[in-house]
Amino acid sequence: MSSNQYDAIVIGAGHNGLIAASYLARAGKRVVVLERREVVGGAAMTEEIFPGYRFTEFSYVVSLLRPEIIRDLELPKHGLKILPLPSTVTPFENGDYLAGWDDHDLTRQEVYRHSPKDAEAYDEYSRVMARAAKAIKPIISMVPPDPSSLSPRDLLGLLKLGKYAKSLTEKELYRIAKLVTQSSADLLDEWFEFDPLKGTKSASGIIGTFLGPRSPGTAYVLLHHYMGEIDGAFRAWGFAKNGTGGVSAAIARSAQALGVEVRTNATVQQVVVKNGRAAGVALANGDELHAKTVMSAADPKRTFLQFVEEKYFPGEFTQAIKNFRVRGSSGKVNIALNALPDFTCLPGEGPLHRGAISISPSIDYIERAYDEAKYGAFSKNPYIDMIIPSMIDRDMAPPGHHVMSCFVQYAPYDIDGGWDDAKRDAFGETVIATIEKYAPNIRQCIVGKQVITPKDIERIAGITGGNIFHGELLLHQLFFFRPAPQWADFRTPLPGYYFGASGAHPGGGVMGAAGKLAAEAVLKDGG
Amino acid sequence: MRTQYDAIVIGAGHNGLVAANYLARAGKKVLVLERRDIAGGQLVTESFGDGFVADSLHASGRLRPDVVRDLGLSRSAFEDTAALSYTSLLGDGAKLELYTNASGAPNVESIRRYSARDAERWAEFVAFMDRAAEFLDAAYRTPMPRLPHFKAIEEGLPLARLLWKLRRLGGKDMFRVVRAMSMSVEEFTDNWFESEAVRAAVSALAIHGVTLGAMSAGTGYTLMHNWLNRGGLAHRPAAGGVGKITDALVDAFKAGGGELRTSSPVQQILVDRQRATGVRLAGGEAISAAIVFSTADPRHTLLTLVGAAELPPEFAWQVQSIKLRGSVAKVHVETDGRHGLPAGTLVVAPTIKYLERAYDAAKYGEISAQPYLEVTTSSPADAGSIVSIHFQFAPYALRHGDWSDATATVQQRAIDTLDQFAPGFKASVKRVHTITPRDFESTYGLSEGDLNHGQLILDQMFFMRPLPGWSNHKTPIDGLYLCGSGVHGGGGISGASGRNAAGIALKQT
Repeated sequence: MSSNQYDAIVIGAGHNGLIAASYLARAGKRVVVLERREVVGGAAMTEEIFPGYRFTEFSYVVSLLRPEIIRDLELPKHGLKILPLPSTVTPFENGDYLAGWDDHDLTRQEVYRHSPKDAEAYDEYSRVMARAAKAIKPIISMVPPDPSSLSPRDLLGLLKLGKYAKSLTEKELYRIAKLVTQSSADLLDEWFEFDPLKGTKSASGIIGTFLGPRSPGTAYVLLHHYMGEIDGAFRAWGFAKNGTGGVSAAIARSAQALGVEVRTNATVQQVVVKNGRAAGVALANGDELHAKTVMSAADPKRTFLQFVEEKYFPGEFTQAIKNFRVRGSSGKVNIALNALPDFTCLPGEGPLHRGAISISPSIDYIERAYDEAKYGAFSKNPYIDMIIPSMIDRDMAPPGHHVMSCFVQYAPYDIDGGWDDAKRDAFGETVIATIEKYAPNIRQCIVGKQVITPKDIERIAGITGGNIFHGELLLHQLFFFRPAPQWADFRTPLPGYYFGASGAHPGGGVMGAAGKLAAEAVLKDGG
Repeated sequence: MRTQYDAIVIGAGHNGLVAANYLARAGKKVLVLERRDIAGGQLVTESFGDGFVADSLHASGRLRPDVVRDLGLSRSAFEDTAALSYTSLLGDGAKLELYTNASGAPNVESIRRYSARDAERWAEFVAFMDRAAEFLDAAYRTPMPRLPHFKAIEEGLPLARLLWKLRRLGGKDMFRVVRAMSMSVEEFTDNWFESEAVRAAVSALAIHGVTLGAMSAGTGYTLMHNWLNRGGLAHRPAAGGVGKITDALVDAFKAGGGELRTSSPVQQILVDRQRATGVRLAGGEAISAAIVFSTADPRHTLLTLVGAAELPPEFAWQVQSIKLRGSVAKVHVETDGRHGLPAGTLVVAPTIKYLERAYDAAKYGEISAQPYLEVTTSSPADAGSIVSIHFQFAPYALRHGDWSDATATVQQRAIDTLDQFAPGFKASVKRVHTITPRDFESTYGLSEGDLNHGQLILDQMFFMRPLPGWSNHKTPIDGLYLCGSGVHGGGGISGASGRNAAGIALKQT
């Protein structure tokens, strides 16, 4: 058997690709993962951008990674270590702040300080959202059936879905129906009055989307982010030892331990098709690899419009993929610091430096940031979510120095006139100027700065459109419809070709569910 | 206990009159109470001073064909069936003319000037929208049961029929309809057309009457909704004014032995042990009835007329959370007849971003500097000298100032904007009468000026309209039924809500 003969080839060594490969290897398959870049991890990887300063270039927190995957692949054994993010602090320009701690009662007291009414609502709100997240969780690990099909598999899927719906109480059912369709602003207005509280909560409803908090459907995204689980603890966001790269590294080690071969610097040119079936891939360097199963963990556009000739897909399917929206809306600014930024609201080094710091003073603030983006400009007053990994994991920066990761919205992929160095610099400057309003000494601390636009995400991580979820979390791009109607079950119109990435159900975040479910689809088909 | 009436209907709007007609035809003794001195609610043709007559709120209204048939109204009496043009004014004399009721050649010609490809696709698009409307129509005809546990025979069968209908649209179309509902109309039209002019003209219908922008998710649904209620893009003006539709309903009702009392505002719905027993008028008079129908919006009906004290606390909280968001103003202009505007339905909606920016203002409680306008000239009174302008966005809740000063702003921006897209219009203006969202509330009884008694947003539609679990026209108060636009089937002029509510009440009694 030639060394280029495998049972399965997985394109892309992001977390989904590695997880899919691991599950296939666990089932005894001979698997190779092909990675374009010299490092594994895709959007979840850590790099030393400035000597001594290590960053998670793109994604930056861990929460959504499925616990069963952590168990199945024994990730802790392979070095996965999740360090908790104990807090979220929202500084105000007037020098005050709103803090959310990992202790519910402390948070309640803090909310009470600003609004007794909201403190009261906060308890119930937390219960309701936790229940809703729990109730909707089975959907995450479900293979979406095709309601228009009468095949046994789909009918069974529908039955399962029906059973699930029946298992919910009427209340849960309605709550989910509302959460899936509402705007996060409407949801929060029903509960709270204090603007910074609503602003900060609404922020998780827009992350990775090209929508504002007043757009219907954002309440679902909020819930999506609520589904995070670390060691079974709901909604606790965590930070991986060595950055999210630590996650990929752990998954990669686990994969290799299971016998998966990982080839870096291996750019896939095209999927090889023989008598109407995927039969392997051709690499840019001319090599050909053969397997009866090929799985793409790239984004839908590359997977279906680039790797495979259009003639192998029905026109309707291709059209649906072309229509699939992947508009990148966020950027990142990674900053190397020689000292901690001093926040006016909580002077000196304090707990806020160990948690997330969120620039989200109100829903209007974020909505206006969105308004600018939809007309083709980056936000002059952006939403920023900062963390200082070096406070949690000292190995990330030289002693006494720090790295700060700033997730920024909105930065539209299709900016007027297109992105160039001048615009990137202006964008970075806007972010620093915004932080400066709350931490006046930030400029003096900066020893290095990396600004990442959606264009850069596309170029470096290979995600078309630079959307961090490989495709916007829009209602009509979820479940049944992700990535395209009738093809949400990780299979594709081309036999032997599978799709297991964030662009498939259940979508974005460092979650891994898509990779796992896709691998299961392969095994079910006897691949 | 012997009651004075079998049924009292609060509000003589089209839904109230439709419900009253159905009840009367079933032999019930029915009293309709209207707070204004004229019947019609949103379907009124009024005079604003000698000879200045216009359709106050809506340029047209189409009752469901089955309602017209069931109540023995003659459609021909009030419906104009001439070919309807929907014209988008694009500035500098450019315009795009669209027809949806006939795949007419002039139509395709007009589109071809902007895109040959779009002209090609137009007929297919119209066919798809008509199919989508057909599905929505079936949904509105079907009272939504309480999920998940509902009475199989009573509610399950109609629902099964609905699903069958959905199924009959075929897997492909079913997906396209359902998906399109949650899309923004910006994305939906992007899947069909390349010409900005065509996309924007269609998008305008999607945001008409709702406080949403062309980029808001869910405007795919509002497009289908408005398309269904209008029967396409353009208005079907009622010969003699929309008031004629009201007249037809009132005549039929009275002929059926029904009793209508105007200038009789209801102050309270009388409740005894969780059961509606009648109403008390503002004058103090109490009138008893076996069942009470309210066409007022759910929030006003339940929190003001009934009172939170009579309701389960969580239910009351949910009612409080119903989103009402009026942002429409009407500017009626009497001209010297030389306004130079073509007949039919005109819109000022040059680009999708134009519409979106107009909406942005509403999000922050401001009046659009460059509003979306829909203009109709076909006035009932006289040969087109009256120009009616539908103005968006003019939010009910202004963040700065109040409506006493804002009225002038709306009036001026309406006229200036129209003059900008139809030069010469301004010179023809003689008299102006502006109706603000405040007036919608104070004069027409529309809470927060919301024409739909509750926003047409995804989380307030179908089995979630007005509230999840309460889309079957019933309320926690026995014998009290909701039958206005705020309930499933409602929104727009169709009478579906009144028809469905009457059906349910008659099943019960």
